[in-house]
Amino acid sequence: MRSDRRKILGGIGAGALASTFPAPWVRDLRAQEASEIPVAIASPMTGVFAFAGIEGTDGANHFAQYFNERGGIAGRKLRLIVEDTGYQVPQAVAVFNRLVAEYKVPLFLGDSTGFQKTINEEVNRRGLLLAGASFASEIDDPKKYPLQYMPGPSYSAQVGMLLKHIAATKKGARIAFVHSDTEFGRDPIAKSEAYAKTLGLEQVEKIVTPPGSFDVSSEVLKLRRARPEFTIFHGYVMAPVPEFMKQMKEARVETQFMGTFYSSDLGILQKMGDVADGYLGVNAYNYVNQEGVSGPAMDFIKKANGGKYRTNSYLQPWTNLTLGTEAMRRCLESGKEMTGANLKAALNTIKDYDMGGVIGVPISIPGNSLGVGRIFRANLKAGKMDPVSDWIRAEA
Amino acid sequence: MSPALLDFVEFSLAGLCVGALYALTGIGFVVVYKATRIINFAIGEFMMIGAYFFFGLAAQASLPNWAAIILALIAAGTVGGFLERFIFRRLIGESAISVFMVTIGLASIMVGLVEIAWTADPRSLPTFLPDRPFFVPLGSAEAFLASKNGWSFIIVAAIMAAFITVFRFWRGGIALRATAADQQAAYSVGINVPGVFSFAWILGAITAAAAGILVGSISGISSAMGAIGLSLIVVVIVGGLDSLAGALVGGLMIGWLESMASLYIGGEYKQVATFVILLLVLVVKPYGLFGTHDIERL
Repeated sequence: MRSDRRKILGGIGAGALASTFPAPWVRDLRAQEASEIPVAIASPMTGVFAFAGIEGTDGANHFAQYFNERGGIAGRKLRLIVEDTGYQVPQAVAVFNRLVAEYKVPLFLGDSTGFQKTINEEVNRRGLLLAGASFASEIDDPKKYPLQYMPGPSYSAQVGMLLKHIAATKKGARIAFVHSDTEFGRDPIAKSEAYAKTLGLEQVEKIVTPPGSFDVSSEVLKLRRARPEFTIFHGYVMAPVPEFMKQMKEARVETQFMGTFYSSDLGILQKMGDVADGYLGVNAYNYVNQEGVSGPAMDFIKKANGGKYRTNSYLQPWTNLTLGTEAMRRCLESGKEMTGANLKAALNTIKDYDMGGVIGVPISIPGNSLGVGRIFRANLKAGKMDPVSDWIRAEA
Repeated sequence: MSPALLDFVEFSLAGLCVGALYALTGIGFVVVYKATRIINFAIGEFMMIGAYFFFGLAAQASLPNWAAIILALIAAGTVGGFLERFIFRRLIGESAISVFMVTIGLASIMVGLVEIAWTADPRSLPTFLPDRPFFVPLGSAEAFLASKNGWSFIIVAAIMAAFITVFRFWRGGIALRATAADQQAAYSVGINVPGVFSFAWILGAITAAAAGILVGSISGISSAMGAIGLSLIVVVIVGGLDSLAGALVGGLMIGWLESMASLYIGGEYKQVATFVILLLVLVVKPYGLFGTHDIERL
């Protein structure tokens, strides 16, 4: 009797254990869903970057619609699997492990610099292509991050574009950097300080603010003494940039405010209020409401959104997916398997490629970054960003 | 005045103004702890909902700022009273750690509700403070004080004065102090102790909401702004969890210290300086500078 009970319990246990492994024919069937190409996205749908994650997910879904309506790749449609990360690296890693194990994804889109750095070895081991929301300079290194890419110029390249613009505007100008004490904030600073020197610019102050700090009054006092002619913000989305600008204006510091990608979105600048009028920002893309910008992709975006303004965060996954699916197309057309190495090699063959109006010049991606950007000035009264430079090819 | 002395005075003024905001939030925390012995880990989220109520009423419903502030404070107080009546009163007698965990859960729920109602987008609050800065004459020089910081200090000072009056002279304030000192004795002399609990939560929520509106007017608002509350807990630990005077002194001290750290060692070391002080206080005076010795350890 006891032996029977053991057998039954053992059988139940073995059955339960076996059920956790998908049967081989189930995996075969999944793999044979040749009509689909699964792409996994770990997106911050909650947490501090939820506004960007929600916007980005919309951008990705619209891209899938755009891509599939045009036939996909030889009839194979794009299928997105999106999960929330809360902008937490451990959660993003868990999402990665689950989705990569469950779906045979050739491409994974992550949500942060921290995640992309953390998961790099695992990406190399599993052999898939990874992109994300990060423009971290460290990731812009094909040797250390051989299977990753980014949808624009690195942060160092973005600040480099601003510095070049300053040097062209005023020789020997007095500049100040204001950045957050985060991985994101610190990323381009050392390189940019060195680059400013080579351009003959005088760095008069560097302000570092701790994350979560709401008060900037003591930092403004330092800037009041330093009197920079140009103040470059990096490592923020919104706060505390508007408060810096308000208090510096109150303190009668005459300076041109500037910033990198995330604080250069029109929607964000509008939320900052009148104080942001005239702000100069680097963008990797055209603005969705920019006059005279068209092309098949941009026209689709405008139509799909019915005139609603979409932020830079919307265009990031759009660009990542444009490049990723183009790499897939090239890989499949040359009869190669969609492994990370093959996809990255195919990605690096992209040269003078038309982004359909999302970016104003043909792009190439010889390494890990898409190194073009443009400087725009906030014209908040007109509700738009006016270009003040041509498209710039990154040097840094 | 020498430039070094001018720096010291200017940075001290800035630090004390920020410290006043820390103190106000700290008082919201202490009032609840003093009366009910509950560590309200959701204090930052109470700040957040106060700021969002103001945003909804002023920016979205287009009410005048003064009316929006009053209604936002009433709404925050109502939330505080509701939570006390229907959640925290039912937890009387439960272990302190259980109640503490409930406040953590509550914080997440409040963030979720704000994101449902207002989305997760960061926003700016309508301007309601004058934008003319203060230039304080100091001999031949003058010290600059940003408008919002100066006005925040004045507003917080007025709220503090109201608090002192309430706790010193008003029956409700005296009842709260009596309940904090000894619940059984308070019952025995006919004080409505559950009513005092409700009052403490309402007052704590209103105070936190006022701080949230002022902080939001400086840094903007987002569903993540409640994280500020975590760093403000340092203020009440330094001052003493159950001491209103401690919250006041702790707030001003931490604000001033951060500003000095920014001046002499750099803004990135502000928090390091704060936590060094926290460590020192915990070693030398584990109950905080003004806390009583019967604070429960978790």
